[in-house]
Amino acid sequence: MVEEKRILYEHLDVPEIHTFDVFRQHDGYACFEKAVADYQPDDIAKMVMDSGLKGRGGAGFSTGLKWSFVPKDIKPCYLCCNADESEPGTFSNRYVLEKNPHLLIEGILICCYAMGIETTYVYIRGEFTLGKKRLDAAIKAAYANGYLGKNIRGTGLNVDIYTHPGAGAYICGEETGLIESLEGKRGQPRNKPPFPAVEGVFRKPTVVQNVETLCNLPFIVGNGVEWYTKMGPTYGDARFDPPKPDPNTGTKLYCISGDVNKPGVYELELGLTCAELIEVAGGLRGEQVKAVIPGGSSAPILTHYELDTRLDFTSLTLAKSMLGSGGIIVMNETRNIVDCLLNIMKFYAHESCGQCTPCRWGTPWVRDIVQRIADGNGRKSTITRPKFGIAENGRWGDTGETEDIYEDLDLLESVANNIANVDTMTWNTICVFGIAVSWPAVSYMRKFRPEFEATIREGKLTTLSVEEATVPPEENYAYQQRIVPRELE
Amino acid sequence: MAFIKLNDLEVEVEDGTNVVEAARLHGIEVPHYCYHPGLSRPANCRMCLVEPHVFFPPAGAIVPDRQLATGCTTVLRTAPPNRKLDGKYDFIVYTDSPRVKKAREDILEFLLVHHPLDCPVCDQAGECDLQDFTYRHGHDKSRYLEVKNVPPKKDLGPDVLLYSTRCIVCTRCIRFCQEVSGSNELGLIHRGSHDEIDIPRSHDGMPLQLLDNKLAGNVVDICPVGALISKDFLFKSRPWFMKQEKSVCAGCSVGCNITVEYKEDGVYRLKPRFHEEINQHWMCDDGRLGYGYVNSDDRLQLPMKRVDGEFQPTHWADALTQITEKLSEADAEKVVVIGSAQGTNEDNYVLQQFAHEVLKTEHLGLFGALPGEEHTFPQFTIEADKNPNTAGARKMLSNGTPVLEGEALWKKVSEADIVYLVSGAPERSLEAEEKAVLESVDFLIVQDVLPSEVTALADVVLPGTTFAEKDGTFTNSKGWVQRIRKTVDAPGEARIDWEIIQQLARQLGGEMNYHFAGEISLAISENVSGYAEATHQNIGDSGVKLAE
Repeated sequence: MVEEKRILYEHLDVPEIHTFDVFRQHDGYACFEKAVADYQPDDIAKMVMDSGLKGRGGAGFSTGLKWSFVPKDIKPCYLCCNADESEPGTFSNRYVLEKNPHLLIEGILICCYAMGIETTYVYIRGEFTLGKKRLDAAIKAAYANGYLGKNIRGTGLNVDIYTHPGAGAYICGEETGLIESLEGKRGQPRNKPPFPAVEGVFRKPTVVQNVETLCNLPFIVGNGVEWYTKMGPTYGDARFDPPKPDPNTGTKLYCISGDVNKPGVYELELGLTCAELIEVAGGLRGEQVKAVIPGGSSAPILTHYELDTRLDFTSLTLAKSMLGSGGIIVMNETRNIVDCLLNIMKFYAHESCGQCTPCRWGTPWVRDIVQRIADGNGRKSTITRPKFGIAENGRWGDTGETEDIYEDLDLLESVANNIANVDTMTWNTICVFGIAVSWPAVSYMRKFRPEFEATIREGKLTTLSVEEATVPPEENYAYQQRIVPRELE
Repeated sequence: MAFIKLNDLEVEVEDGTNVVEAARLHGIEVPHYCYHPGLSRPANCRMCLVEPHVFFPPAGAIVPDRQLATGCTTVLRTAPPNRKLDGKYDFIVYTDSPRVKKAREDILEFLLVHHPLDCPVCDQAGECDLQDFTYRHGHDKSRYLEVKNVPPKKDLGPDVLLYSTRCIVCTRCIRFCQEVSGSNELGLIHRGSHDEIDIPRSHDGMPLQLLDNKLAGNVVDICPVGALISKDFLFKSRPWFMKQEKSVCAGCSVGCNITVEYKEDGVYRLKPRFHEEINQHWMCDDGRLGYGYVNSDDRLQLPMKRVDGEFQPTHWADALTQITEKLSEADAEKVVVIGSAQGTNEDNYVLQQFAHEVLKTEHLGLFGALPGEEHTFPQFTIEADKNPNTAGARKMLSNGTPVLEGEALWKKVSEADIVYLVSGAPERSLEAEEKAVLESVDFLIVQDVLPSEVTALADVVLPGTTFAEKDGTFTNSKGWVQRIRKTVDAPGEARIDWEIIQQLARQLGGEMNYHFAGEISLAISENVSGYAEATHQNIGDSGVKLAE
């Protein structure tokens, strides 16, 4: 039986921890003081690199590597803390901001010290009113106690933090969209390259980090790299010989919601499986798991056949899904996948920023197709076609059988793939919003195709049993190359 | 120079060229909408996707497959020796690979999802990028079954209409107003598929600011579809029915390069033509909409003479004979010849030759439109001098003696008996002082295109021609000599200015035998200092810069 073990966020539930005094009583700012006293800035950057810390915001990009791209000779350089947490199913940043904002400030201070940054912007989601209130109060207290401002605690370090509330756009959580919005423009992502590390806020080098990533820094510095890397698996990247270490170290705040008995935020080491996580969250509410969304609504769905997938960056990427922001949504046998997809597609069609063509006009189109299917107006052709699958010779090909043609399902897959191709992982859009749309659309449709077909046939939303609704892995070409990573010895 | 493999071509391009331009230079079309060489590159239409041979992801990023790149933002540069591809290329890019073709089809399908099929009534049809690229790169049918967005039609300003339904949100117009005119009237409202271009409005929809800057007309030109439409040209003609001729705007001394689009019955519109150093891609609305007088019904079509204080139309022989008689009797010291800054170099050169060789007078003046206001924009300037050829006319008329201008001119005119005034400035009004001086002249010959306060004082009026009706050259304020070309025929019996002057010269016994404007330009290149290179053969489409 796996249980939640708070390591990094041990003091998160201490009453009044959001006040400076209580935070100090629980060793607050000790790690920052240690960092300044014991290490040079470059040492800290090296520690972060060695710790294998991956960004917790969604893309899972190595934090140390990101810092190494920042040019050292261009000043000023900015830190942007991304607290615009708007992925459906994710609520960990909100939890941290409301409970323990000083931890974030400590993380920011360490990052600023390591990178020689003097100005930090915290782009906080506009709906987080309590979070912003607590953070603003914490920043005020930190200024009052000399942990922010000029010459912090006599170290000669200057750091200012400004909070900026978002105005409610999902796309402003994308790092360049966030930067544009912060600069006062329309929240529309920029073309990359140049990446923000080279040209970000006000065209200056900028480190953009998620709240959770920054909250990891005090513990890496305080407890050392070795302590940190013991948590979570380190895989071997088989594309290299000998396999290159692919660390998935540390803990993650998993936000679990949906059909579980105790939904909420759980801190767990990376690398536990889906089934274990459901157990931690009080077990399933209902009879049977039908599907699990592993990383916020934009992640491809996992079926009940895939509950052994480990929830870390590498395993989920190789399972053709992603950990994303760690927002896990569990669905039991009563849920209709078509309805779920419609819900998600309504969200994305509404949130598309409208900057680039495929996303602007593709996302509402996808929504409309799903709406049509859900309304019972999906089109099915009167003719059939040869069925492709695992042929007699054991390879992919013509099976000799025929299958019905569901025109709207083909159209849905084609339109979604034209926004961003799920199979080749290439997108025609400016930012990854495109793939965040087509990933759920295509994966839901491929993995739960019988339910979509039944809905079209019956002319109304039809929920099948779990076994009937799910395409078995051996019949689904989306699984054909599913790889389970192996841990390094 | 970067050595590039472009499809199966091996080409050299300047460092810093993007793929769209490099391909265009070598005759390959990379379709694009949002990219415009004169504006910034947001790469939001995604139409110019090309396949680079290698994509350099940041080390460590997981990019399993090559990502297509936008041609407009993919800049070609010489690679360091250790980064050469296949040992020799600086970059390898495919603009016709199957993936690129597929991507273009897909993007076009998305663009057409909400675009109405109103080409039969759309002004842009025939010169529409969406139409052309769909024809060349797109699908033949639509898979879209849902209801199309129907955003409203909007009146943006004095000359610009927005058909929002046709808009593909490439944001060229917005960027133009930000970067070139600096006036920021346009912006996007709403979000996602409901994006609309609009001007600032109050909550009840009343416009707070109109698109009324002096460069507003350019947004119509750069709109790749028929969303932004000029009210001046609305429903007037199909583009393919019009003939086009390269010319120069006669609106001010900047000398913007233009294309005159015309039919037999008149000029239909002026469009800017690219010139790197003069106007880039733009022109101002004063010039763009200032062609109206060419088509005017009031144009002078017959010579007129004053009989008992009233104007009477007459025929050329009569008018010219009357003038010849007066001039042959006159004292050369009492004759003033005034050239026009609206006329071509050729007109003024012939006038100068006429004055010196035939009339033997030294009194040459320069006349033109009244100065206007100077307007400066971040990337464009409209000059105060509203004559296209002040510098050229001054140079042509001053053959040894300085040209009389301003007060000196009016002083000389007040002493004269006969004044031959070539005006050409449409509807030129006269200041009180000028009027008094001209009224005192015994015999005033005015050569002009439209009735004005100047022609009202004349004894004989000769109908001349506008910039649209003759060949010639203009010299702009920066010393660029550029060609204008004949488009429409002059109305009625109006004649080309230098032909009238040559006819007069011949009747007075002068020897002048030019057959066409190019011949005069040869004479100019021989006789006028600095103009040696400025013959019609040398000038071409983009003009010749005079040595300082």
